[in-house]
Amino acid sequence: MNLTSTIKTSIRALRANWGRSLLTILGIVIGVMAIVLVISLGQGAQNLILSQVQSIGANTIILRPGRQPTQPSDAASTLLTDSLKQRDVDALLKPINVPDLEAADPAVLVPGSVSYQNSVYQATVLGWTPNALGEVFHVYPEQGAFFTQDDVRSYAKVIVIGSKVKQELFGESDALGQFVTVHGQKLQVVGILPAKGQVTAFNIDDIGLIPYTTAQKTLLGIDYFHEIFLRAKPGANVDQVAADVTTTLREMHNITDPAKDDFFVVTQKTIVATVSTVTQVLTIFLVAIASISLMVGGIGIMNIMLVSVTERTQEIGLRKALGATNRNILLQFMIEAIMLTFAGGLLGTLIAITISALVSTIAQTYFALDWPFTLPIGAIVLGVGVSTAIGMIFGLYPARKAAAKDPIEALRFE
Amino acid sequence: MALIQLENITKDYISEGTVTSVLHGISFSIQEGEFVSIMGPSGSGKSTLLHILGLLDRQTTGSYFFDQHDISTLSDEQRAQIRNQSIGFVFQAFHLLKRTTVLENVILPLYYSSVPKKEYIQKATAALEHVELSHRLNHMPSQLSGGERQRVAIARALVNDPKVIFADEPTGNLDSKTGATVMNTIEKLHLQGKTIIVITHETAAADYANRIITIADGLVASDKEVRSPHTHYSK
Repeated sequence: MNLTSTIKTSIRALRANWGRSLLTILGIVIGVMAIVLVISLGQGAQNLILSQVQSIGANTIILRPGRQPTQPSDAASTLLTDSLKQRDVDALLKPINVPDLEAADPAVLVPGSVSYQNSVYQATVLGWTPNALGEVFHVYPEQGAFFTQDDVRSYAKVIVIGSKVKQELFGESDALGQFVTVHGQKLQVVGILPAKGQVTAFNIDDIGLIPYTTAQKTLLGIDYFHEIFLRAKPGANVDQVAADVTTTLREMHNITDPAKDDFFVVTQKTIVATVSTVTQVLTIFLVAIASISLMVGGIGIMNIMLVSVTERTQEIGLRKALGATNRNILLQFMIEAIMLTFAGGLLGTLIAITISALVSTIAQTYFALDWPFTLPIGAIVLGVGVSTAIGMIFGLYPARKAAAKDPIEALRFE
Repeated sequence: MALIQLENITKDYISEGTVTSVLHGISFSIQEGEFVSIMGPSGSGKSTLLHILGLLDRQTTGSYFFDQHDISTLSDEQRAQIRNQSIGFVFQAFHLLKRTTVLENVILPLYYSSVPKKEYIQKATAALEHVELSHRLNHMPSQLSGGERQRVAIARALVNDPKVIFADEPTGNLDSKTGATVMNTIEKLHLQGKTIIVITHETAAADYANRIITIADGLVASDKEVRSPHTHYSK
């Protein structure tokens, strides 16, 4: 008994009922498609997030007030906590406290809108230091320049705006040197940023950058920061710097119990770890759900194979009379079941890859997201492998039933 | 030793606790090259006997030697191998595979044999030539007449060059004219030295045999040499 002729026989049997065969493998197709798609998209999304996280730079440390958010209300407390102030920045910048710290750029979030004449735009207005955007995200104004250290010291009423803000407020006309209104204060536009889209947490195109001192004193009347961007010196051990920062701030704030920290430190490493954990857990969860449909598909295969065995009782009897052993019959029906599920797995994988490629193309073309299309070899192997295994598992019972048929009864079967 | 040797064969069926006895002790032997007709009314047990002779079923008691093998000692696998190599079956209902060409139907027994794959087509073509169906190789069974279908089945029985061909009511589904053609084809095989065992209740078919065993109520009622009215010995 050779394999090629068995496969040929199976193909003929499957083709004879091709409509039924197609419907039978639908469950497998959907199951495998779901699994491969989840893994492929999950990997793409993770790569996208990670590449954005990496754009912060490995030596960037973000310092936030409040507690590490684990639930939505924590995010609010981060914005409302006033624990980070200028004296913290000053202390951190002392080499005796944090020897490997290069820069500390405090940030203040200004809620509200930017308006010019009759146009109003909901921009993200951020009080920051002159060079932070350039040094952290490598984005520099297309027209004009960043405000200066002097502007920070003098509470200068100046603003650098993103391309979308400029477009919404000024259209095609020149914006440099014009005055926009934020929180009732007139700020002069000194720089316009190039179109960059989403970078990590915020959209550069939607941004308005002003000196952090202006944001604090002139606009909001507060003395604390919402965030401090710290930069370690090149080649420094970022974890060590983060530890030094934590120690310094605990001293400044008189905190002995780490559980009572009123600030927290985020590094690229911790973000990467969090993102990876989240996407991995999510992927496993979704794959587990998709596996249920594979299971259902497998039961469908078993069902239709049982029908096929009954329909072909005479053929089984004849083959046995002509010298087929039980093993030959078992193998024939097993191969048929495996071919069904293998075809289903292949089809599902192809559909999933197509959708995945489509999603990444759409994300790149229409949403300017750097969503990479990844061909997850592991997912393909898993999808096709699992579907083949499903064929083996759910094909075994019908095949054994076929092999156990009594040739006399089978030949007599009408 | 005879090709087939039966000693006191009995067969009981047990269904739902009651035992039905079909064969009560059958003994005979058949030499290689014989053409035997097994006759008997329906219910006499002749089909059961054929199934035992053809190694499709096992006797309840008694001994059966086929080609010097004690059948009762063989495993299912060994019996399948003997069926494949030494026995050809021709059934009343032809039992050809649908949607499968004539040629591939005839190749079927070769799949389960040790014949090298490259000889499949040549052997099957030769067998089909034998039954004068060379022009039908790539036809489907549904395109053939009843007589042609039965001749394809004969070619399939022949393809592994078996020692014996069992034919179970080979003309039962055919009119008398095509039945005669089929019987002539079978007779031709006998003339070439094959052992033929035909189960039939039609005397027209039995007339080709040179020995007629009659079964009645599970026992051999008569066993006699006959001179076939067909003139095949002079051919």
